[in-house]
Amino acid sequence: MNCPDWEQDSAEFREHLKVCEHCREFEENAAAMRDLKVAPAAFAAVRQRVLSEIQAKKRRAVWWTWSAMAAATCVAILCAAYLLPSTQRPAALVARKDPPKIEWPLVQPVSHRIHHKSSGRSLAQAGPVRKTEPLAVVKMLTDDPNVIIIWLVDQKGDSL
Amino acid sequence: MADFRLKAEHAGQSAGLLERVKTGDLDAFDQLMRANEKQVLGTALRLLGNLEDAQDAAQEAFLRLYKSLNRLPDIQEIRPWLYRVTVNVCNDMHRARRRRGWEPLSGPEPASTQPDPELAWVHQERGRLVEMALKTLPEKERAAVVLRDMQGLTTREVAGILGSSEVTVRSQISVARGKMKKFTDRYLRKHL
Repeated sequence: MNCPDWEQDSAEFREHLKVCEHCREFEENAAAMRDLKVAPAAFAAVRQRVLSEIQAKKRRAVWWTWSAMAAATCVAILCAAYLLPSTQRPAALVARKDPPKIEWPLVQPVSHRIHHKSSGRSLAQAGPVRKTEPLAVVKMLTDDPNVIIIWLVDQKGDSL
Repeated sequence: MADFRLKAEHAGQSAGLLERVKTGDLDAFDQLMRANEKQVLGTALRLLGNLEDAQDAAQEAFLRLYKSLNRLPDIQEIRPWLYRVTVNVCNDMHRARRRRGWEPLSGPEPASTQPDPELAWVHQERGRLVEMALKTLPEKERAAVVLRDMQGLTTREVAGILGSSEVTVRSQISVARGKMKKFTDRYLRKHL
């Protein structure tokens, strides 16, 4: 069983088996186990399972690749949609025309004339000093195309 | 004694086969499996004692081989690598399924080449007895005995596969043979 000769090459080992009963018995047992035969179908089944698993993994890998590419494309499109308008905004501002400049004042300040009845002369009195503040003009169209209501509003919000 | 080195005339073909496998050729991988299936399934069957589990272990070992092909530069490394992986997979499965307990061989019967039916029966029963004795061994001793005595590897090769020294493997085999001898004697005394 535990003879040191066990490790020797086969010719010497066979000689040893003739004289060592324990080693002979163990060798017979080991030979019986070595003879264990497996049906070819069992090998074929293992091969089939391995190949099927590999092919399934390949299909999964392809699916994941395409999914990742599609997701990356979606992200790129979203990023482009978000970033591109902001980069184009200054150009749009440059291209836009300035609104027409309104000449102020639209209405000449009217000097209030006070007619002095007793003297018969009219005194030209300077009207209230108006600062030439920019005025806002609000035009309101009415049903009648000949009638347009115009509001002149100073910066304080007072109508003139 | 098995030798890891392939014959020179086959080495070139095998290297070409490995290159084809590395390019994803499944037919080539099928050939590679055919060349190693007896080794893998036979070892797994002796270590696990159950054909269904052995097939699972063999499948796992071959899948690991497929994943690791790029790390194996030489086809001569495949055989010891497969032994190592098969033993590891079987140990993992054995630990995971320890609660289930050992089962008798569910698939193949130990075949015999004996022409005499009575001798064939004795041979077959002897195989069963060894199989039962193997089940009583700790996993390292069982692996050492299976690889050394049933797969026919040298002590050095077994040491390389199990990651032990040759002295350790000799000791494990010696202890394992003693245990198996005791088991078979006790079994035969009890049943005969």
